[in-house]
Amino acid sequence: MSKPRVAIFDFACCEGCQLQVVNLEEELLDVLSVVTPVEWREAMSEQSEEYDIAIIEGSITRPEDEERVKKIRERAKILIALGACATTGGVNKLKNNFGMDEVRTIVYGKDAAMPHLNTMPTKSVAEVVKVDYMVHGCPINNKEFTYIVRCLVMGKQPVIPNYPVCVECKMRGNVCRYEYGEICLGPVTRAGCNAPCPSAGFWCFGCRGYVDDPNVQAAREVMDKYGKTVEDLKSRLLLFGSKQEHTDE
Amino acid sequence: MSIKKLEPAALNRWVDGILQKQKVYGIQARGDKFVFDQLDRADQLRLDYDVSVTAPKAFLQPPCETLLRFGEKGFESVVESEPFVLFGVHPYDMAAILQMDVVFAEGNPDIHYLERRKNATIVVCDVQNASENVFAGCMGTAVLESGGDVLVTRVGSAYVVESRSARGEALMETIATAPVAGARDLGERKAVWEKNRKLLRRHELKVKPEQLPALLEKSYDHPVWEEKAKRCFSCGSCNLVCPTCYCFNVRDTVSYNLKDGERERVWDGCMLAEFALVAGGHNFRKKKAERYRHRYYRKGKYLHDMHKQIACVGCGRCITACVTKIANPVEIYNRLAEGQK
Repeated sequence: MSKPRVAIFDFACCEGCQLQVVNLEEELLDVLSVVTPVEWREAMSEQSEEYDIAIIEGSITRPEDEERVKKIRERAKILIALGACATTGGVNKLKNNFGMDEVRTIVYGKDAAMPHLNTMPTKSVAEVVKVDYMVHGCPINNKEFTYIVRCLVMGKQPVIPNYPVCVECKMRGNVCRYEYGEICLGPVTRAGCNAPCPSAGFWCFGCRGYVDDPNVQAAREVMDKYGKTVEDLKSRLLLFGSKQEHTDE
Repeated sequence: MSIKKLEPAALNRWVDGILQKQKVYGIQARGDKFVFDQLDRADQLRLDYDVSVTAPKAFLQPPCETLLRFGEKGFESVVESEPFVLFGVHPYDMAAILQMDVVFAEGNPDIHYLERRKNATIVVCDVQNASENVFAGCMGTAVLESGGDVLVTRVGSAYVVESRSARGEALMETIATAPVAGARDLGERKAVWEKNRKLLRRHELKVKPEQLPALLEKSYDHPVWEEKAKRCFSCGSCNLVCPTCYCFNVRDTVSYNLKDGERERVWDGCMLAEFALVAGGHNFRKKKAERYRHRYYRKGKYLHDMHKQIACVGCGRCITACVTKIANPVEIYNRLAEGQK
């Protein structure tokens, strides 16, 4: 069997998730033993219009992006969304809290009306085309990325956790941030990252998005127990949860 | 069996001696909490701790462990274990380990657990300071008549150190010439036990533990399950911190040659949404309330039906760990008992 051809494309993002793939360093050679990259702007000069697996990094934020990602979808057998900007819209959805004219003016000042600076409310990749697999996180966990790649090459369904980050915190023996009176998004956020933020003494920022059935209502109800308000919780949900299902339910 | 009296300095010398020969995981401070971790010096030991963040079960059934390695030619079991001393286990946690010994030995004996257990020398230490949510006094686990290899009890400014097994006797070999604890010391130790039985009751269970199976039997449709589960995150924190929760998931990872790989097991918990998800996408405990109820039935009835022991030792970790504060077993059992009056 020939190795699947893989193309990596970036949209609105910082390209840090691609960098996480580059950061695999020597393990990258192992990855190349199971797939052949044919287009990957951050790591090679070649381009191609023929590929089996398309990996999409970044959010869809302009009408022309929408067209581009649809074309990629048509050509790819499998499409993977890479990183929070692609899987949920991530921090780019902060923009959706404002009007588009206001956003353009804040960012570009007097040039706001220039046609090439046209912008639209941020969409995740799945809001535009069918996504087969998601690699969550800001940035992604590159071990999870290679696990998913190996599964796909074997024709196996990767298992992505659908339980909260608390599970990984408990496995690492962390003390709950709530015990220190901090709002942590771990209880409603999808695990799989191995809880690096709480393990380093921070709360969970929620970068991997919600679990399938997050109990955000319970989080709201419990705020007063920790001397916090629902407004405090909402402000913390803004970064990765803006305009996401569940955030404002 | 030896029973010695050691001043703090002598206890430290004894422990430092053990450290020269064996790996010791001892209770020590981390920030404002306490954890079991590798001990470098005896003076790191904090036998005055209230409760450890993670239950000591983690040294017998680690959060993640490799069970076997496989390849084209077959597979071989992996048992990663070497002799170690677990120093400073509270009686309620020891009671939990004794339950795990039964669970992992019955049916198809679990070589991974049993090998570690065989390699473990456990020094139990009586509680000096009650934790915020401990209720071991209600569960009959505040003090342990037997179990573990050595028991250390603080009496006044010294310690009574008693061996409880041949392995414990061997660990105490280096203090063979230390003074024997006298009748007065043993009297004081008895007083500590009496005090702990009364003191380790931050929550008061209004029924006797042995009544729990019958109480649960009648409570399957009680409104408390639905009511509490509304605030459940399905985060499994209550499971994972519990010293008697031993459920695990098994998964395979394959290396880049797509032939060799490892089978590992990781902690799992019945409160997680997909715990009961089986082939074909069927989930036989789909609802939060079903999972929530199951946990109490498992602790208070199902395991009792099998082993005649209540699978709750009153450590109180679940009460602390639950962010929305719905996981207090004493509150639940008292509530069920109320309805029975």
